[in-house]
Amino acid sequence: MNDADDRVCDLLKRAVGPVGQPELRRDLWPRMQARLEGTRLRVPWWDWVLAALLALCFLLAPGAIPAVLYQL
Amino acid sequence: MSRHIYLRAYMAGVTVPSALMLLILLAFCVVRFGFQFPLPIERALVFPMALVPNLWGLWNMLYVPVNRRARIPIGLYGAVVPLFVGPLAYFSARAFGFEIPPFVMAVLPFALVIAAMAYYLVWKYLVGFFNELLEIG
Repeated sequence: MNDADDRVCDLLKRAVGPVGQPELRRDLWPRMQARLEGTRLRVPWWDWVLAALLALCFLLAPGAIPAVLYQL
Repeated sequence: MSRHIYLRAYMAGVTVPSALMLLILLAFCVVRFGFQFPLPIERALVFPMALVPNLWGLWNMLYVPVNRRARIPIGLYGAVVPLFVGPLAYFSARAFGFEIPPFVMAVLPFALVIAAMAYYLVWKYLVGFFNELLEIG
């Protein structure tokens, strides 16, 4: 670091005042992580079974498709 | 966001069948014009177009007090809808003079169970998503 760099550092320190509270009161990462995990769609296995069963019903009895669509 | 909760619930309930309506209309058009099936489209669409979205909206409005008293999962709550909508659909089809095709009549008793499964999934994942988005329940 030369004289010019030192001078820039001094100027910066003088221009930007000290931060009142450098540390956060609490760690925000766990909350952020919980929120990210909360938004992730988790489909339980029985819902997959139900969806497969539904597809099978439509496959075996195509007449059910308009009957279900009619009331959706 | 605590204001107008019933209005928000109604809107969340109406959204899904309104969006699905496009698919249903497409299916009816394919059957009617693609396969040349003699289907009175204007009479057939009265029930899914006018009544179903409002029924879903009202049912979702009712979910607000029901969920406050007893915490029922929204999927199960939605799976009950075909018990009301199914017979209503049948009688309204009859009332509008819409002849139900024989291949549909053959599966009608099972259609209620199949519809309950479909409703469970749709209410759990789609209506549930909108309810969560609008902070209902």
